[in-house]
Amino acid sequence: MATNINLDDILTRYPEEEASLIEILHDIQAAHRHLPRETMKTVAEYTGVPLSRVTAVATFYSAFSFEPKGETVIKICMGTACHVKGANLIKGEAERKLGIKAGQTTKDGKFTLEVVNCVGACAMAPLVIQNEQYYGKFKPVDLDKLLRTGE
Amino acid sequence: MIELTIDGKRVQARKGEHLLAIARREGVEIPTLCHHEAVEPSGACRMCMVEVTRPDWEGWSKLVTACNFPAEEDLIVRTRTDKVMQTRKEILELLIARTPGSQLIAEMAREYGLDHPTLTVGELSEKCILCDICTRVCQNLVTGAISRINRGVEKEVNTPFAEVSDVCIGCLACAKSCPTDAIEFKQVGLERTIWGRTFDLVPCTQCGAPTLPKEQAEWLSERTGMKVEEYFVCVKCKAAQTARTYENIAW
Ligand code: SF4
Ligand code: FES
Ligand code: FES
Repeated sequence: MATNINLDDILTRYPEEEASLIEILHDIQAAHRHLPRETMKTVAEYTGVPLSRVTAVATFYSAFSFEPKGETVIKICMGTACHVKGANLIKGEAERKLGIKAGQTTKDGKFTLEVVNCVGACAMAPLVIQNEQYYGKFKPVDLDKLLRTGE
Repeated sequence: MIELTIDGKRVQARKGEHLLAIARREGVEIPTLCHHEAVEPSGACRMCMVEVTRPDWEGWSKLVTACNFPAEEDLIVRTRTDKVMQTRKEILELLIARTPGSQLIAEMAREYGLDHPTLTVGELSEKCILCDICTRVCQNLVTGAISRINRGVEKEVNTPFAEVSDVCIGCLACAKSCPTDAIEFKQVGLERTIWGRTFDLVPCTQCGAPTLPKEQAEWLSERTGMKVEEYFVCVKCKAAQTARTYENIAW
């Protein structure tokens, strides 16, 4: 994951208009694993959207964060179906193994643990998502594998 | 022109006119919170719920928000049915749980029989119902210094990163348009503080009373073509000036 991507390179991929905002934010988030605050003003100017609305969008969607996320983001689905299928146990186990609470990032910057609500794959509940990879019928012991591959 | 019925009364309206506007014209009271003349109706607060039906709906009716529901021929609008009152009461119950600090919400809740609200989720001083009036007034009419940030229970109105805004011009439009007076500002002498930023108010060139922040005068001047200095005359002195002008004409 490149962290040295230039903001201009991202901006010039998209037309200078309001509709580009979310795409640009996605690309910045992907490049830096967070939205560096100082880039938001430039994004606002480029898209012509007031800074206040850029921050409104950036704080609304959970895909964006102003704090750097870990190299590996582990999301535990806590939607109804997954909850019933024991998502809570997975969450507890993950928190114990990583020594952080859901929503936090490990000190070494390797892992971020998050909970999400239904991701639309209830038939495979309970679900755990590692970066973009979905794992269904998840058991707490499967965490070991995920945490290893994330290393 | 079309005709419809509001609370049993036949009234005339333009097709597509919002029910709230018609009701107000006819003197029928409908409570609102997120409605403000300066911005388009957004249907955010749901306080203005009314029940509508039509002769051809065979007894069916539905609840709609009067502030943005367009009038149509032969619509039958009822503003105080049991269903309406119960719905408004439920909304107020949730609102008062969020905003224990708001006197207005407490009063409205009492009107709907909620004397002893049981649920509290907001901070005791919380007044903001997140109706979005202030942010839309600021976005659409002024400089867009504030917005609703975060989401869910953490949603709040604030400046970007809750930092001092460099686009705010200290005009107070947000605070003045807020239905629940949730936006705090302070004005002491020649200083006005809002959203963490203190503006110097320029003293009236005639009498020295506080007028506007320089930032606001400049912003206005850019749009009206009036000279910036013309804004630094207080309301009283401006009235006196006008009076003198007319006196001179009369002579
Ligand atoms: S501060 Fe007032 S105007 Fe703004 S969203 Fe809250 S209640 Fe509405
Ligand atoms: S509840 Fe987890 S995918 Fe639907
Ligand atoms: S006034 Fe109609 S929804 Fe708020």
